[in-house]
Amino acid sequence: MTSLWLKISAALPPNEEQFPLTFSDKVPLSVVEMLKLARKQLYGNTTSASQILNAQIIVDYSWERLNMGTWRDVDKEWRRVYSYGCLFKAVALCRENPLEEEILQAIRTCDMALLMGAAIMENLLQVIVCILQTGIRKLAKEEDNSENIEAKKRRIASPHVGLIKEDLSVPRIKCPSLESFSANHLLPLKPVILEGIIDHWPAFNKHPWSIEYLRSVAGCRTVPVEVGSRYTDEDWSQTLLTVNEFIDKYILNKVGVSESGHKAVGYLAQHQLFDQIPELKEDIRIPDYCCLGEGDEDDITVNAWFGPQGTVSPLHQDPQQNFLAQVVGSKYIRLYSPEDTAKLYPHDSQLLHNTSQVEVENPDAERFPEFVKAPYQECVLQPGDVLFIPVKHWHYVRSLEVSFSVSFWWS
Amino acid sequence: MRWFGFGFNAFTQTYVQEKSGEEDSCSSEREVKVSVPVELHSHALRGRISASWSRTASLFLDQDQCVYLAGFCASISSGSSGPVTVDTSGCKDAIISETHLSLAFPDRIESWDLQSKNEAPSWRMEINTQSENSDLKLPLVPGGYISSKSPVFHSLSSHLQAKSLALGGEHAVLLTVAGAVYTWGQGSHGQLGHGGLVPEEEPRTVEALWGMSMRSVAAGGWHSICIGDGGDLYVWGWNESGQLGLPSRGLRKTSQQKTDPQEEPPSKVSTCLGEELHEEVFISIQAFPALVDVSPPCEIRTVSCGSRHTAAVTTTGCLYTWGWGEYGQLGHQTTTSLDEPQCVEFFSSQNLHVVDVVCGPWNTFTAAVKKEVH
Repeated sequence: MTSLWLKISAALPPNEEQFPLTFSDKVPLSVVEMLKLARKQLYGNTTSASQILNAQIIVDYSWERLNMGTWRDVDKEWRRVYSYGCLFKAVALCRENPLEEEILQAIRTCDMALLMGAAIMENLLQVIVCILQTGIRKLAKEEDNSENIEAKKRRIASPHVGLIKEDLSVPRIKCPSLESFSANHLLPLKPVILEGIIDHWPAFNKHPWSIEYLRSVAGCRTVPVEVGSRYTDEDWSQTLLTVNEFIDKYILNKVGVSESGHKAVGYLAQHQLFDQIPELKEDIRIPDYCCLGEGDEDDITVNAWFGPQGTVSPLHQDPQQNFLAQVVGSKYIRLYSPEDTAKLYPHDSQLLHNTSQVEVENPDAERFPEFVKAPYQECVLQPGDVLFIPVKHWHYVRSLEVSFSVSFWWS
Repeated sequence: MRWFGFGFNAFTQTYVQEKSGEEDSCSSEREVKVSVPVELHSHALRGRISASWSRTASLFLDQDQCVYLAGFCASISSGSSGPVTVDTSGCKDAIISETHLSLAFPDRIESWDLQSKNEAPSWRMEINTQSENSDLKLPLVPGGYISSKSPVFHSLSSHLQAKSLALGGEHAVLLTVAGAVYTWGQGSHGQLGHGGLVPEEEPRTVEALWGMSMRSVAAGGWHSICIGDGGDLYVWGWNESGQLGLPSRGLRKTSQQKTDPQEEPPSKVSTCLGEELHEEVFISIQAFPALVDVSPPCEIRTVSCGSRHTAAVTTTGCLYTWGWGEYGQLGHQTTTSLDEPQCVEFFSSQNLHVVDVVCGPWNTFTAAVKKEVH
């Protein structure tokens, strides 16, 4: 395990003087003092316990500041302080011959910084978490050999196709040219399923995505999970779990009875997983068609959507163009044109005004009489399909089995 | 009267331990987290304490009427860590924040920027000594109130007839002379008590308490509390660490983890956790005032809030604390958080009658007297 510490210290600045700690006057001097103490301890010979304690003070204080006011108003300096706190804590955890549990805790600490903090020291936390993950994988391999040698290549069950009415189905085209896609779909804002444009992704070939693969690449990483069948539900909530915990509890249903007795649905939804875990980013590609937009490639938001059968995204619209790429499993999708917004009964509240009040597959005809008159298109998205959802087009999504999709928001 | 302190002490703002001769003991857990009340020897007199995250300001009313600061002192003196005296003679009230020390004198209010080397206050206001409002307690000042963020002065409509004001993390709770409660500021965690999560720019009456007369108010980072005329307690806001004294899901999760250190890695858990089977109602955000039960039933005299904990003193001299306990701020000799009020045994076991309590963000100070022997 000392090799782990050697790798970590090699990634850190060589000495205290070269370790930057500069903050704006938003950060009180007392907090800066605590940060300097933690830095001094990092290069001194203080016990690991004392270092963890001081790092935790920084984490706790900046966490409180991150929760003051609304998220977008939080000063970036506090997100930086939080990242520094997490960095000091993660490093301190791995200092003295760490146990597996301590390395896992250090990984969770780095992830908290990647989720809530701001990038510091040229993304040092990303480097550290990479070193830690490699350390954990070595341990895991040793265990694997002794414990179970059974084949772990089980793929996620093959999809079944639902009934789609022919005249309502979203048209499909195979690898259209940029010109033809632009003229026939992008400019007139017409939904279409593009076939054959992601077959070359390593996610289908080199590293076919499976539960085992996701476990091996991301198992010990912490991700945000939505719990509850729909985000409009009263009891909907968000929680943080490791990918392994999420898979066990919500994908494989090893634990899954909620207080009220029925199964709670967990959904790793709308999360920028590929920024958090660059290794997974290698398995996907940004569709060429995004270059038809005006934005830079850096402006494209790539989100992961991983969940069991039965996750539902209520009928809603987004302010950007969207390519929804299906990698694993299948999803039923219903689309409504923005022209018919009046028939879709958006919520009144500011927070949910982009979401319809109607339960699409079980509409309340009395409360929402116009809804059934609204024309729509529908489809079942299969692995390899990419659905173009034009900007502001209303969409409703329900997974038909364990599913992993990747969305690209672009303009 | 004797003063005691406990909780966060990384800047020795709660108490200074006698030197043991041991080097590099400055950051040991025992000193950073004081979980058993410690007597503050310099506070043998009648006074008032105000604490920020890294500092404590003590005002002595009996003798010299001066404010003493303890804790982080970067710019008040040249880096020494012992208590420092600021020229504050004649001061009658003082409150401290992480960046500012505000002082009330009979004829003026001053706010000092603790991060600058200026030898003059960063803000100052004269008081007309004829004015009947001159006995207001900080942060109330004639015509309004002061905060540590700029602008310092905020005016308050005179029709509100403010009796006292508590400033929380980003919200304010005001008590009127008539016993009504008004709140304003951030509402994201239910801390305003109006039932919603939206901010309010102007003081708005807490309608759920309408018709009941309140005695006292306090505000924490994201929660609010007030004492009714009968000594009953009403709370609202965020219950993340159990600071409302209502069941908190976060706390149950942590206690499960803590009681089972040999826990299997989560990937191997294959059975239902017993706790999840019977129905329990957890409160994360309480957006309307709720009554807190303190058992055995008792009448509350004083209450104060830290950023995520709460402390209340009963008319019988008992101290109850609940909420976040990580730094020992609950005084129960542990660093466990609690989601129900628990009596601090230290004082009753020492035959001490608690008369007052003041919370800093992560620590707690209490004043106590020896119980009379019959």
